[in-house]
Amino acid sequence: MLPRDCSRRLMAELQGALDACAERQLQLEQSLRVCRRLLQAWEPTETRASEPPPGPETNEEDPSPACAPSPQDLKELEFLTQALEKAVRVRRSITMAGETDKAPSLKSRSTVAPPGAIAFAPPQTPGQAGGHASDTRPTKGSCQTTVPPKGHSERQLLSLGDKTRVRTGARAPRPGPGLRDQQMAPSAAPKAPKAFTLKEKGHLLRLPAAFRKMASQNASLWAQLSSMQTSDSTDATAAKTQFLQNMQTASGGPQPRLSAQEVEAETGRLWKACTLLRLRMREELSAAPMDWMQEYRCLLTLEGLQAMVGQCLHRLQELRAAVAEQPPRPCPMGRPPRASPSCGGGADPAWSPQLLVYSSAQELQTLAALRLRVAMLDQQIHLEKVLMTELLPVVRATQLQGPPWLTLCRAAHSLLCEGGARILTVLRDDPVD
Amino acid sequence: MGRRRRPVDPAAGARAGALPEAIAALSQSLPSGPSPEIFRRAKFDRPEATPALWQLLFRVLAPLPLDNRLASLAPEVQARLVKSALRSQGYPRLALAQLPEDGSQGSRELLLALSWLLARGPVLEQMLAQTRVPLGDEMTVCQCEALASPGPPAPQVRAEDPVDVRHVQWLMGKLRFRWRQLVSSQQEQCTLLSKIHLYTSGCHGDHSLGHLSVAEAEMLRDPEGGQQLLRTLECENRRLEAVLAWRRTELVFWRWMDTVLDTCVLGVPAAASQGTFLPQIPECSGGVLELVAWELRALQEELQEAAEHRRAAWEAKAGGCGRGPEWSAVRRASREAVEKELGALRRCWEQDRDPAQPHVPHRLVRREDGAAGDRDLRAAEVIRTLRSQEACLEAVLHQLQGQCRQELARLAGALPGLIWIPPPGR
Repeated sequence: MLPRDCSRRLMAELQGALDACAERQLQLEQSLRVCRRLLQAWEPTETRASEPPPGPETNEEDPSPACAPSPQDLKELEFLTQALEKAVRVRRSITMAGETDKAPSLKSRSTVAPPGAIAFAPPQTPGQAGGHASDTRPTKGSCQTTVPPKGHSERQLLSLGDKTRVRTGARAPRPGPGLRDQQMAPSAAPKAPKAFTLKEKGHLLRLPAAFRKMASQNASLWAQLSSMQTSDSTDATAAKTQFLQNMQTASGGPQPRLSAQEVEAETGRLWKACTLLRLRMREELSAAPMDWMQEYRCLLTLEGLQAMVGQCLHRLQELRAAVAEQPPRPCPMGRPPRASPSCGGGADPAWSPQLLVYSSAQELQTLAALRLRVAMLDQQIHLEKVLMTELLPVVRATQLQGPPWLTLCRAAHSLLCEGGARILTVLRDDPVD
Repeated sequence: MGRRRRPVDPAAGARAGALPEAIAALSQSLPSGPSPEIFRRAKFDRPEATPALWQLLFRVLAPLPLDNRLASLAPEVQARLVKSALRSQGYPRLALAQLPEDGSQGSRELLLALSWLLARGPVLEQMLAQTRVPLGDEMTVCQCEALASPGPPAPQVRAEDPVDVRHVQWLMGKLRFRWRQLVSSQQEQCTLLSKIHLYTSGCHGDHSLGHLSVAEAEMLRDPEGGQQLLRTLECENRRLEAVLAWRRTELVFWRWMDTVLDTCVLGVPAAASQGTFLPQIPECSGGVLELVAWELRALQEELQEAAEHRRAAWEAKAGGCGRGPEWSAVRRASREAVEKELGALRRCWEQDRDPAQPHVPHRLVRREDGAAGDRDLRAAEVIRTLRSQEACLEAVLHQLQGQCRQELARLAGALPGLIWIPPPGR
């Protein structure tokens, strides 16, 4: 067992890391929900009104819901979907002759929908209040598909599908285009419009004019703001500096000492310095000098970098001394100073509209994966340092013999040297008599 | 200077007309900002202006997003947090620390504090940036926020029982699993995002963007949500306009604040008690300083070794070279070039505002040709930067792990009669 305060610190750090990952995962899943929904067939506006607003609690696409559908139900639903699709195909081939291709006409819909007709909610669009024939309006391509009831079992299973909110995968085959309303006589059959999918009709979408106007206004205002910030009017800056000075002199307090924020900022700068210096060192060491002049420059650079590191250390000593004599009160509300070595953490400038251009899905994936990898490495390095400061002293100090100490050793080795991924084996070497 | 909407004020001169304008702009640009009347009352230290100003300061100083926990704190607690936050930022006036926290007096001091914050940095712009409505699919290149720990830990005391090291191992395993989950979720999201961009290409009004973002497509799919988005956007536009108006007219505000400061009574007692109990956070900047010190020292050792090695090699190789004039000219030129480079490197960390701005979220745009404007980032370049960062971090991690291996081997070697079989390598 580890000592009490060591345990507390380790737990706090690990829990913090776990929470951070959980939060990021939550954000990703939220975003995934939205994206998946966009890529499926869009529901018509009518049913949307009756859709319960998704609150933060109702995780419809929660991958591990509390009320998980049993595999049995999933399989049944899968079979039923396939059977229905097959039936539709068969019927379509029968009635193909009689039907003409007309633009979706809506008015005759309401008269036609028999009481038993249900809106066939494909299992991929959960949460829809199945069971009402709905009208569509000629919105931007949203449409409705209907299919005649095929009996009681179907309705049961579909309501089961609603309840368990089954998702048979975002990219499962959608109900084939044009599930027709078969109840009507072919001659009077209005065409059931195709389900709107982003894939087929995405390029036809148009943003509403009001939005476009507002968005362009927004972009131009942000651009104005950022240009105004960079070219700050000297009058105003002078007036502000004057005011700050007046505040200082009027305060009647002690001389300004380093505030916690300033220490933090300075520490951040030193972090950044460390990273940049290290990167530069690696560049120099990995470059193979071609001739003696390059070698000389490389040597000078390395020595120059060494001097700069010395200066940084000196500054750090000064900071330390200042902190020690008058410990600045840490801000209770700000984020705990999460010193990450990879980023400098400079002051936040105002946002300005800038683009990040990518050219293929592969590139985007690589970019995002690398970004995540760097963040995870950051976290791992931080944990490694924490583990080193906590575990090594314990291993050194314990005078245990036998199994408990071996456990500790093995665990420490695994955590510290293998990142928790692998564990070594210990064999007792009994001397042969 | 500035546009004056009303006729010249006969009483106070041409400038005075701009002050109400400035204050109105300020109050509109602050979130749930107090009315301009509050500002005027505060100048005369009227007590009724105090609670609004405490609340405003809390909003300004509290980290966003303002979660329920912070928002539902009692006004006294909020006031205490404001005091502490101001002190940690180095607020010079001691009078603030002595104000009662019940909101009964001190509005002028609070007004001064607010102005102090506004004068020190682009507070309004930062607040706007934090509550911005993202219309596009955004990604920050710098991932310092990607896995940042979510704020100060919950105040409840965690179990302080001693913990078995195997529990730590288990937690580590759990963390590794979560990492893997994150990777796969991230991959999926990129695929979907890329598809959405592809399928909607060509239908955005703004040709530089070319395709819809998720937020825009979602707005089309769900018109009600779209209305909500439109309303929020409208609010943001109004606040943006207010901030721009403020920037144009703020000069007169600062002059006015000087007069407010003058009306303050000087002679605040010097020895102010700083003993108010403040909620503590477990981590203090001392710890971070130590980490930086450690890193720097490690780096220094590496550099020392490398430089000495190179210097020795150089002396051996080129020590016999002639010391002619051209040789020394070359040496001087090299020295100057290196100094210039290193000077540029130093500027990178000394100036706060990084021109590359990796922290600013960028809007993702898919273009077949990958062409990008001057201020835009190209994915290929970002990938290069990230790769070098990754390599650097991996090196650091391996070095740390190597140190641990040596140390543990030393400690375990003290125990005879055991064979330690390391796990099979990757």
